[in-house]
Amino acid sequence: MRVGERSLLCRSGEIVAQCCLKGFDRRGYLADLDDVEEAFEFDVTSHEISGRDFSSIKYLAKLSSVGSIRDEETCERLRGLIQRQVQICKRSVEVMDAVRRGAQLAIDECQFQFRNRRWNCSTLETLPVFGKVVTQGTREAAFVYAISAASVAFAVTRACSSGELEKCGCDHNVHGVSPDGFQWSGCSDNIAYGVAFSQSFVDVRERSKGQSPSRALMNLHNNEAGRKAILSHMRVECKCHGVSGSCEVKTCWKAMPPFRKVGNVIKEKFDGATEVEQRKVGTTKVLMPRNSQFKPHTDEDLVYLEPSPDFCDYDPRTPGMLGTVGRQCNRTSKAIDGCELMCCGRGFQTQEVEVVDRCSCKFHWCCYVKCKQCRKMVEMHTCR
Amino acid sequence: MAGAIIENMSTKKLVIVGVILLLFQAVAFMVGGLIAPSTTAPVKYLATKCVDTTKYRQESKWFMPWGPNQCDKIRNFDEAMAMKIEANNIVFAVHIPLPEKEMSPWFQFMLVILQFDIAFKMDNQIEDGAMATIDVGLAYRDDTLSEWTAMAHSFEQRKLSCNFTTAKTFENEGRYYDCEPLTFMEVGSVSHKYYLLNIRLPVNERKKVNVGIGEIKDIRLVSIHQNGGFTKVWFAMKTFLTPSILIIMIWYWRRITLMMRPPVLLEKVILALGISMTFINIPVEWFSVDFNWTWMLLFGDIRQGIFYSMLLSFWIIFCGEHLMDQTERNRFSIYWKQVGPIVFGSFCLFIFDMCERGVQLTNPFYSIWASDVGTELAMAFIIVAGICACLYFLFLCFMVFQVFRNISGKRTSLPAMSKARRLHYEGLIFRFKFLMLVTLTCAAMTIIFFIVSQVNEGQLHWGEYTVQVNSAFFTGIYGMWNLYVFAIMFLYAPSHKRYGDEQSSGQCITGDTGANSGEEIQLTTTINHVDGPTEIYKMTGKESLE
Repeated sequence: MRVGERSLLCRSGEIVAQCCLKGFDRRGYLADLDDVEEAFEFDVTSHEISGRDFSSIKYLAKLSSVGSIRDEETCERLRGLIQRQVQICKRSVEVMDAVRRGAQLAIDECQFQFRNRRWNCSTLETLPVFGKVVTQGTREAAFVYAISAASVAFAVTRACSSGELEKCGCDHNVHGVSPDGFQWSGCSDNIAYGVAFSQSFVDVRERSKGQSPSRALMNLHNNEAGRKAILSHMRVECKCHGVSGSCEVKTCWKAMPPFRKVGNVIKEKFDGATEVEQRKVGTTKVLMPRNSQFKPHTDEDLVYLEPSPDFCDYDPRTPGMLGTVGRQCNRTSKAIDGCELMCCGRGFQTQEVEVVDRCSCKFHWCCYVKCKQCRKMVEMHTCR
Repeated sequence: MAGAIIENMSTKKLVIVGVILLLFQAVAFMVGGLIAPSTTAPVKYLATKCVDTTKYRQESKWFMPWGPNQCDKIRNFDEAMAMKIEANNIVFAVHIPLPEKEMSPWFQFMLVILQFDIAFKMDNQIEDGAMATIDVGLAYRDDTLSEWTAMAHSFEQRKLSCNFTTAKTFENEGRYYDCEPLTFMEVGSVSHKYYLLNIRLPVNERKKVNVGIGEIKDIRLVSIHQNGGFTKVWFAMKTFLTPSILIIMIWYWRRITLMMRPPVLLEKVILALGISMTFINIPVEWFSVDFNWTWMLLFGDIRQGIFYSMLLSFWIIFCGEHLMDQTERNRFSIYWKQVGPIVFGSFCLFIFDMCERGVQLTNPFYSIWASDVGTELAMAFIIVAGICACLYFLFLCFMVFQVFRNISGKRTSLPAMSKARRLHYEGLIFRFKFLMLVTLTCAAMTIIFFIVSQVNEGQLHWGEYTVQVNSAFFTGIYGMWNLYVFAIMFLYAPSHKRYGDEQSSGQCITGDTGANSGEEIQLTTTINHVDGPTEIYKMTGKESLE
């Protein structure tokens, strides 16, 4: 089943719950690793892909199709990695599981953020997972690059603090003269390691040859902007623990924002992204706003080179261009999720559907829900 | 005390002493800022979700989040939902420290903060005043292969104070609540290498246990310990300071005992100040490196409390003895009104500390703030202590004001006085003003550095050097109050020198020749080499001759 199709079903309200229970959230880790792959199973053999064609998210998602990455041999088998990434993979095999989870996180978050847009971040069974949409230098590509770089940094940092990785924090950036860094002065923050790993692993692709220079600059910028979305939204938390709990001694630390927050930030940046072109300043090539009257973009802004297509119609020549036929829309909304815009003026059809809803539920904090079933009729609008 | 060293010292010598003290002060700041790392280090942990597959719970079973013999893990709770795992079978496991690291006794203490990640769901929201009941076990071991030894086990209740900043709509489902970090655990010594925390959140619908606490996604912990490097620098500093204060204290007391008369109150108070400073200084913490003394944290609090109350009493008595209003003082009981609030306030704080850190000796998860009654009790103690502090400062300010009023009064009548009396008053005024200045400077420095260290993120980059502001604050302020006590004992010790000819008869005994003859009482603050009631009569006799 295509995820794109499933996300068509997964729309408002309670249908989400049912649908997601069936499909999205069956990401077995303990239970059944193969289950995960159902959603991201690509027919790899039929596609011989040249290195040029890649964008960062694809190989990351590709990693999802391999069970667990435990030994160096798996690195060789991972298709879609360039040679230098295979080297990094071999050098730090234990991190790869986190990278894989990061890719998954990126796809989930992308689909959440774009659930109401014409392009709903649907993934394909084939490589590249997002279709051609992200191979061009569009706004959507900028988002995908940013969220994937951020998700790798995020997942690696999380893996660090749950003790899965051994090298985090303490090896690098240690302040203090003693060889025994942890006991003398503690370790630096894990986020530094996560971001550094994301920089080396994700960015290496853009630094390799064969990329058009303007695309490489754009991708690198957006990768960095994605990571900045985490770094500039770290929450500072403090604890006073002096005499009798007074603030004589205060310890502060930075907590990573929830990934939903990171997604929201990047989505905002997506909405205000700047169209740029490559210019030469001296000997270096830089990206400058196409419209010189605009303010130059900052490190945290997203940039793109080409305007996006309208995503209205299915295009068999462009993988990933699924069109909006059959998508659900909101009749009352005037925004992009409204039927007017979503259906590109083709009109929509309305159906009365009976929905089995959950009501008066009892929840435990984990893993237990007891509900009554309520049936109700709902009007569903779908694009023609 | 007329013959205190400070009055008889030439300005040049006084400047030299001042410069030397300032140099030491600078060294104290530099030791903290440049050699020591930051005072404490936070380490963040993400609890691993283990599944307890056993049918009946075994108390001796411990769940390891990673490494050999690690538990059966689940990534998220949707997985658990699919596998029909119940909330009661989920164990959050955290190993302190992270892999490849070891804890060390140099860390002195370990404080653990707990934070829930709770996702917002329209139909599963956090109820008002929801309490989380946490079943927690703590175990330790000293090598990676041996079995875990249980250290503590407890059922704790913590109030969830979470708020959701965005609108509570379907659109915002999946966002997290902003939850305040909860104080979870505190141990007063870190004598083992590895610690393991197993946390459960048992659900019991009938008893309303852990119902309505929302959809918990993760448990995050932050452990805070003192940096080993800072501990070493701190111990070194204490070890150096102890003999310095001790030696000056012995020297000071010898000077006083050399005199004929018994020591006056102010001298005793200065000695007491020295003793309480030495009490803080003595580096008994060295033992905590080898012995598992969990009460060290509490002991440290008590020592600090004693020093602070001694310092506050000293200021009051010093002011009182320099009032120059010809009232007979020199007795401790005179000051009960001012010292009372100090004693009562510090007693309140002591009780509070005993309730918190004292109970933590037996149950490291205990917190007085966790229950409503406890919170009210704790607040009551703190408020009473606060009121006492306010009362004290009112008294102190009033006394300082009185002294200044008397000083300006005396100023006008100074030229008309006899040389001995004039010198006596000038000495009193000078001593008082000097101490006033030094004390205010020290207090201001403390406050300024405190604010700087709070505002700053703990580090300052100065060229290629990184200055640890927090550590500099601690060593600098600690050094400063040591130097303060040192300077007081040195400068306010009785001097061998005499005022001059008239001094030889040893008088500084006065009665004002002003209008009110009622003032003809001995100023008990004054210390003479030859003391005694006869002297008063001698003096008054002289006076009448004049």
